[in-house]
Amino acid sequence: MYIVLLCRHDYIIKDNCAMLSDQIIDRWLPQFRKGLLEFIILLKLKQNMSYGYEIASEIKNLTSIEVAEGTLYPLLNRLKRDGLVQTEWKTAEVGTPRKYYQITDAGIETLDKMKVIWTNTHSSVLKMVMQS
Amino acid sequence: MTHQFPIKSETSKKLWSNFERELNHKLAPLSVSEKDDIKMEILSHLYESALNDGAESEEKRIINAIDRLGEPDLYLTPLISDILHAQSVAKGHPKAILKSLLQITQKSLLHLSLTAIFGFGYFISFIFFIMGIMHIFNPEVGIWLDNNGGLLSLSFSHQDHATQWLPAQFSFIAILASVFAYWGLSKLLYLLFFKPNFNKQSSY
Repeated sequence: MYIVLLCRHDYIIKDNCAMLSDQIIDRWLPQFRKGLLEFIILLKLKQNMSYGYEIASEIKNLTSIEVAEGTLYPLLNRLKRDGLVQTEWKTAEVGTPRKYYQITDAGIETLDKMKVIWTNTHSSVLKMVMQS
Repeated sequence: MTHQFPIKSETSKKLWSNFERELNHKLAPLSVSEKDDIKMEILSHLYESALNDGAESEEKRIINAIDRLGEPDLYLTPLISDILHAQSVAKGHPKAILKSLLQITQKSLLHLSLTAIFGFGYFISFIFFIMGIMHIFNPEVGIWLDNNGGLLSLSFSHQDHATQWLPAQFSFIAILASVFAYWGLSKLLYLLFFKPNFNKQSSY
């Protein structure tokens, strides 16, 4: 009886730990993604001007980040408000109006700083991940 | 708006207009131009997403595209609150101004200095406004100039060896100046931190 109780107790603790770590990941992941997505969007726009759907598709194809496509728009709006990108409406060949985003000089400057931070952080975090 | 996005079947048209109605409802707090801009961008995304979907029927393609966009509240709520916040600052809403000043302070030392300058500006304009009102009931409240050195001081009571500056017009000048200063500071705050640098718009 005692053993059974002990086992159940252990099971409950493990279950709680898993739930707790899931909760922490749920809280951490959106913050992590948000910062990363801003960086990815600027990287993409440095290559060429683009529009919402194309940016969302490329993020989906090139990275494993699964995001609701609509959540890109608050980010794009914030980048625009901060003066890192500018917008222009154009009509596509298929007739669909598209709002194109283009990186500004301030955006390029910010991206260069982001790249340095990313390179430094990435290598040190990778080292720590390998050691852990 | 469906004429810009050619949809064939009646069911798809219904789906499309339901989604458009939902967008209209949720974007209602925004100005017409902001609302149209965001709505057009989301619908454009939806159309292209549906166009590139692999499903056979048009209805299914639109449903999949709506699904991929996510819950409208998920992306429209932060978008709307961001825009409204920037507009509130431009209009000079005290709560929005305080929130912005706190946000700016967190950014850097330069921003901290700017916050101090803006904070001082708002404080002075507030004091001026209060003094302007108080002067109506107590004429000694005002600006006093020292008779010897010409030094200027704000005072709530009579000052010896000093002359009051424009006692007859002080209330009018103080209230008007404080309102202008408040408006000017709010505009400057908006231009410095909230207005995008460029926003080219060609017709669609």
